[in-house]
Amino acid sequence: MSEHDPAILDASVLDELRASVEGDRSFVVELIEAYLADGAAHVDAINAALRGDDAEALVRPAHTLKSSSATLGAMRLAGTARELEMIGRSGSLAEAGEAAGRVAEEWQATSDALRAWISSDSGA
Amino acid sequence: MTQAGIALVVDDSRVNRLVLARQLTGIGLEIMEAEHGVEALELLRAHPDAIDIVLLDVMMPEMDGYETLAALKGDEALRHLPVLMVSGVEELDSVVRCIELGATDYLTKPINPRILQARLNASLAAKRLRDLELEYLEQQRVLTQTIERQKTELSRFLSPQIAQLISSTEGESMLAGHRRQITVAFCDLRGFTRFAEGADPEEMLGVLGEYHRMMGDAITEYGGTLEHFAGDGVMIFFNDPVPQDDHVERAVRMAVAMRDRFRPLSASWRKRGYELGFGVGIAVGYATLGRIGFEGRYDYGAIGNVTILASRLSSQAGANQILVSQMVAGMVEDLVEVESVGELTIKGLSRPVSASNVVGLTERHAATPR
Repeated sequence: MSEHDPAILDASVLDELRASVEGDRSFVVELIEAYLADGAAHVDAINAALRGDDAEALVRPAHTLKSSSATLGAMRLAGTARELEMIGRSGSLAEAGEAAGRVAEEWQATSDALRAWISSDSGA
Repeated sequence: MTQAGIALVVDDSRVNRLVLARQLTGIGLEIMEAEHGVEALELLRAHPDAIDIVLLDVMMPEMDGYETLAALKGDEALRHLPVLMVSGVEELDSVVRCIELGATDYLTKPINPRILQARLNASLAAKRLRDLELEYLEQQRVLTQTIERQKTELSRFLSPQIAQLISSTEGESMLAGHRRQITVAFCDLRGFTRFAEGADPEEMLGVLGEYHRMMGDAITEYGGTLEHFAGDGVMIFFNDPVPQDDHVERAVRMAVAMRDRFRPLSASWRKRGYELGFGVGIAVGYATLGRIGFEGRYDYGAIGNVTILASRLSSQAGANQILVSQMVAGMVEDLVEVESVGELTIKGLSRPVSASNVVGLTERHAATPR
């Protein structure tokens, strides 16, 4: 991981999100919980597609995970998911190994950071 | 301030749908959600009038925003719906394609709520305008349909020219009254009163029906305006409301045609025991034309000496005579052969008038019927 890698969690994105709903923290918490639930399923689906060498099955969960992650400021995971989506679209998983290795680890780190945001008084 | 409406949010990410839904409800919209294009189209087709705007993610599995938009714009019932494309920054090329395909506008993620509101308002305003326009067009269509039906009905009750006149833009001034030279033809049956006394009502209506049908065809053929039927009496005028340069000639030709067609009719009636003859009076002159009558029952009619003269000539005509005034005779001398019947004393006119009977079309004209 280099210094130039995007942050696991860009808290300013969450702050903006919160500001866009008149500072309703509970809404942001609700979003994070939805993300954690859906994201876990997407990560499972990504892993299943990689194990099964099924490029087509990789595209959809990778795309959705990318999109949701970006919305919550989970920038590093969004980038990895994007790579996986493109690999899936290429039709061959030959180059997936490196990104595949990162996705589970980044998902864990992202989940931890988001849970920490909830339990902290960030923006509270 | 946005007026209430329903927005359909189409995005594969639940997190993104939640964010958009929250921002949209915050500005007064109700929300429907779809996970991808296929689901969105199903919802739209099930509720084509309920949804006011679509927020469409560009990149989606199953059916992406581009395909969804194309399907939407290809559907007659949905193509007027405003569609806001919602895209990531890296998808701007696709957004351009979507705008070309008919998307109203686009938003980039993360969504700035103020830009969202501004674009929504603009799109919804356009939608409302479009809805009003559709409503107006529908009213217009119903109105036009009603007017067309009324015109059709009017033309059954009135002479087609008069029905046309009533529905036209210059109708009001024409109906209010105007003065014009016209040719008037009065027709009636000799022996009708005696026949009416003796015959069954059904028989009489049958005979009148045959007679009126024959007359009606000839009137239409020569472009006459039927002023009224009164039993066996029929008044027709020419040169109004539609101007006709050859109005005198038309009236005379029509009368000759009627007399020719009357012969076989009268022959068949004779076999049934009825002796009926056909008489016509024709005069030309100025009359005042327009709406005549009273509120609740108006006719389009002509008033003037010309109508009186034609009527009197008709009552003086013997069976199968077409009596024309001296002026008419002078104007059609090239067309028909006439024989003078001398001077007639006409009730209501101080001086006797010269009249002629039309014997028939001259040989040259007989060969070329209208």
